[in-house]
Amino acid sequence: MKIQLLTAALAATSLLATLPPAAAHGPTRQKISEKIEINAPPEKVWAVVSNFQDGSWIPVVAKTEGTGGNAAGAKRTLTLKNGATVEEEVAKFEPEKMTLMYRIDKVDVAVLPVTNYSSWLIVTPADGGKKSEVEWRGAFYRGYPNNDPPPELNDEAAVNAVTGLYKAGLGELKKQIEGGS
Amino acid sequence: MASGMVALDTPSFEAGLRPAPQDDGALFRTAILGPIDGTTRELRLARNGAAPASPRHTVILRCERSEPRRMLAWCALLAALLLAAQPARADEAFITSQPAETLSVVDLATRKVVATLPISGKPAGIAVSVDGARAFVTSPDGKALTILDAASRSVTHRVDLGGGPLGVAVHPSGSPAYVADWYQHRIKAVDAATGTVSGEVAVGQSPSGLAVTPDGALLISADRDSDAVSLIDTKTLTRLASIPVGARPFGVTIDAAGARAYTANVASNDVSIIDLKARKVVASVKVGARPYAVALAKGLAFVTDQYDSTVTVFDTDTLEKRATISVGDYPEGIAASRDGAFVYVACWEANTLEIIDTATLKVVETIPVADGPRAFGAFIRRTGE
Repeated sequence: MKIQLLTAALAATSLLATLPPAAAHGPTRQKISEKIEINAPPEKVWAVVSNFQDGSWIPVVAKTEGTGGNAAGAKRTLTLKNGATVEEEVAKFEPEKMTLMYRIDKVDVAVLPVTNYSSWLIVTPADGGKKSEVEWRGAFYRGYPNNDPPPELNDEAAVNAVTGLYKAGLGELKKQIEGGS
Repeated sequence: MASGMVALDTPSFEAGLRPAPQDDGALFRTAILGPIDGTTRELRLARNGAAPASPRHTVILRCERSEPRRMLAWCALLAALLLAAQPARADEAFITSQPAETLSVVDLATRKVVATLPISGKPAGIAVSVDGARAFVTSPDGKALTILDAASRSVTHRVDLGGGPLGVAVHPSGSPAYVADWYQHRIKAVDAATGTVSGEVAVGQSPSGLAVTPDGALLISADRDSDAVSLIDTKTLTRLASIPVGARPFGVTIDAAGARAYTANVASNDVSIIDLKARKVVASVKVGARPYAVALAKGLAFVTDQYDSTVTVFDTDTLEKRATISVGDYPEGIAASRDGAFVYVACWEANTLEIIDTATLKVVETIPVADGPRAFGAFIRRTGE
């Protein structure tokens, strides 16, 4: 039997230093999904939503800067029109399923009242491949880690903020693609 | 084992096994149907208590020589072989779906959802008593514990606990149930029959997973934000020790011998193995990203890696990694069948219960369940001996 001895004190001190501030959260993860139909073939829509280094179809985004393209581990920093920044990372890139999964590594809860956020962009053919359906899914905890949160950081605030972001983003995506730009 | 030939070492006989129209599992009895005339006859394995007309499997024997007595002997032998090969019971999985606010009951023989019960307050934690009589479900948002009669699928008590009830475990005797309060950093003992709180004990920060040793003597809580586990004497409900583990332990599982406990450490991406007698961590094993919980079967540990959408499998003796199995996104609750043949994984984002064969280490079935399955705890229910 091969057993590595691990001194607990060493483990505790070395690991605490690397803990992300978002590690603490409440016990209930939230889940939302928004969909939109776009009058364009799936390949065309996928080319836009899978381009992790260009978040310009999301209305609040002013600038996208990043590294690593679309591959798992690729990073981007979105600078929003209000000056705030969001740091994100690709978790899974599956072109055969037209699915991109990414996470937020860092965001101020005053900007987006969520923690431990991940999301999926999924393109599926509609109307025999002439049109597309885009689904934007999100998984996240509310911004406030403890019990009885203030209203601006509760579950409802988190769900409302992300739902608003998705509706606006999908609406703009549809407009850009159908507008031919 | 539901189909295929059973080879018998004789030129005179050939035996086939075919699945019955309804594969309803449970216990079996045998009956030999038809006259003993040396030609084809059927031997049926029927569910105990059910009519022989609805067998689980039908065995067909074809006899090339007219030797009724030998054939009867072969029938008896074959029946014994087949009975030994069948699962002796059809257990169930009790799966909490947090956003859907339901409890799905999955029959593990047919691999179908057989009941869906509403449970309010975003249910997450689950524990089923060892005898299979009761199920206990925590609702963190509803600040309550729901106690159910498992067989009749009926709620017997809804216990208001306050705080943030999440992890739950039940004493091997069937009572009490222990409920971890994520926010108030204590564990409450709830009498299973009456639903009254019989005691409580303070532990570390944000206790999450709970487990009780098979002899019922020790309760262990994974104190997530203390990076430690608490050992609690169940008789006196006193905290005996706090043992440092990896960062942010969430699920905790104790082996069948009651010798070791395994914690899935969300922030250090590893599993701590604790020697319960020595009260210390004896090993640490790297797994995938954001591990949630651990199941033990056939000398292997199966760990759900939430952020990698995988189950990491390692040998509990050698600590060597055996497999990384792809499953649905956000795999969370995980538990082994009582015979260790299968491991069941609840995938929160994919809305599935996935079945891993512990011999082949492959997903053999994906069962759709209600939105957001978490099944955090010991969710397998015994339905027979």
